[in-house]
Amino acid sequence: MIRFNSVSKYYPTKQGRSYVFRDVNIELPTDRNIAILGPNGVGKSTLIRMIGGTDIPSSGEITTDKNISWPLGLQGGLQGSMTGRENVRFVARIHGYKETRQIEQQVADFAEIGAYFDEPVKTYSNGMRARVTFGLTMGFDFNFDVLLIDELTAVGDAAFKAKSQKLLLEKYEKTKVIMVNHSLDQLRKFCDAGVVIRENTLHYFDHLEQAIEEYQEVYVRNR
Amino acid sequence: MKSRTSWQIMRDTVHALFIRELRTRFGANRLGYFWALAEPAGQAAIMVALFSAIGRHSLSGVPVALFMLSGILPFKLFSKLLTQLSAAVQANKGLLGYRQVAPIDPLVTRLIIEFATFLIVYVLLLLILAWVGLDVLPDDFIHLLAATVLMVFVAAGLGMIFCVTQLYWDDVTKLINLVMTPMMFISGVFYSATMVPEQYWYLFSWNPLFHAIELSRDAFFASYTTPLGSWYYLGAFALVTQAMGLMLYRANHQRFVAS
Repeated sequence: MIRFNSVSKYYPTKQGRSYVFRDVNIELPTDRNIAILGPNGVGKSTLIRMIGGTDIPSSGEITTDKNISWPLGLQGGLQGSMTGRENVRFVARIHGYKETRQIEQQVADFAEIGAYFDEPVKTYSNGMRARVTFGLTMGFDFNFDVLLIDELTAVGDAAFKAKSQKLLLEKYEKTKVIMVNHSLDQLRKFCDAGVVIRENTLHYFDHLEQAIEEYQEVYVRNR
Repeated sequence: MKSRTSWQIMRDTVHALFIRELRTRFGANRLGYFWALAEPAGQAAIMVALFSAIGRHSLSGVPVALFMLSGILPFKLFSKLLTQLSAAVQANKGLLGYRQVAPIDPLVTRLIIEFATFLIVYVLLLLILAWVGLDVLPDDFIHLLAATVLMVFVAAGLGMIFCVTQLYWDDVTKLINLVMTPMMFISGVFYSATMVPEQYWYLFSWNPLFHAIELSRDAFFASYTTPLGSWYYLGAFALVTQAMGLMLYRANHQRFVAS
């Protein structure tokens, strides 16, 4: 269970506070795979970041007793000045692993970016970043209860997509996902429940199709 | 996954940051380790050459080389701490994305690196001087350490204050560089209070770094007694800057994380 306790998030702008979320009170289940639905700029990534602890609500709090991953996405996560291998070592160390060699090897094998693994991440293409980011979470066993995925499966070539999807499905037994993706096909493949962001708050639907219907009702058909 | 206490997480994180920061601090090709030693040694050597040229081989009864090192090394530690700490969080911003990494961790890491570097460089340079034949054993080791630690507290407090300031004003690092250059000349690195006429002491007595270096020399050399260095002033300054730094950090630590 991920509990939102009167969570608000705003950004200061020249016109005053611009609210993304206002007084959200909701409990999201952690035994379902949840799709986050909403158009650009409505706060999907902010939501994922706040659940993952890399961003902090302006007021209120988000609590959980589950082990939640950091947000897997294109932004952040990897430090540009460090090589892929150094990033992997760093992440392994902060998670309490003393011996990192085996983990490095697993991620390198998964990412398949060859010698670039020892080059600074800032020289990587988007696809290469995604390969390392994805390999980092999946390559070694953190035993996360919930994976936060922000548009990550949208990049990469067909072979990488197939590989990462296969791995994701393998982990499904133990691990659930909370996912942002603009492809409804992708969401249907991985998720069974949904959250629609509307009017600065979250609306949870037990069935993904209901959520998609609501999303299209509010954001697509009226346009 | 095995569960860890907050302290264990912090220890693991600081260890991971330590290894990452060593590369940033000393460069990928490790030439930085050489310069950490060569830069203060070179500065001291130049001063020794200058004083030899005018026929002086000791200051306040202390060999010039030793006198210079006892000022140059604390000054280097102070200015390095200030610049490194004020940029510490900014330089590791990407890594704050991991929940385990708190903004204080890079500050702690850089403090450890700078202090350890200082100690190692100090010992190595003293060993070299001992090999040349000088008496390099500090007269009062405990007080030498105490003066250094108080100075580190001042630098760490100011570092935290500037680190927070940088959240609101990016160019604060330029200001630090601007101030630290003249500081080198007014902090008693190349001279001591006894060489300054008494009516001008008020120009120096506000400066905590001047006090720290005076007190260090007082402790290091039996032949030198500082007329100006005050434990109370340095201690009070350390207390105030630490309190301010920690308060500002505490009040703003969420801003480091939130984008």
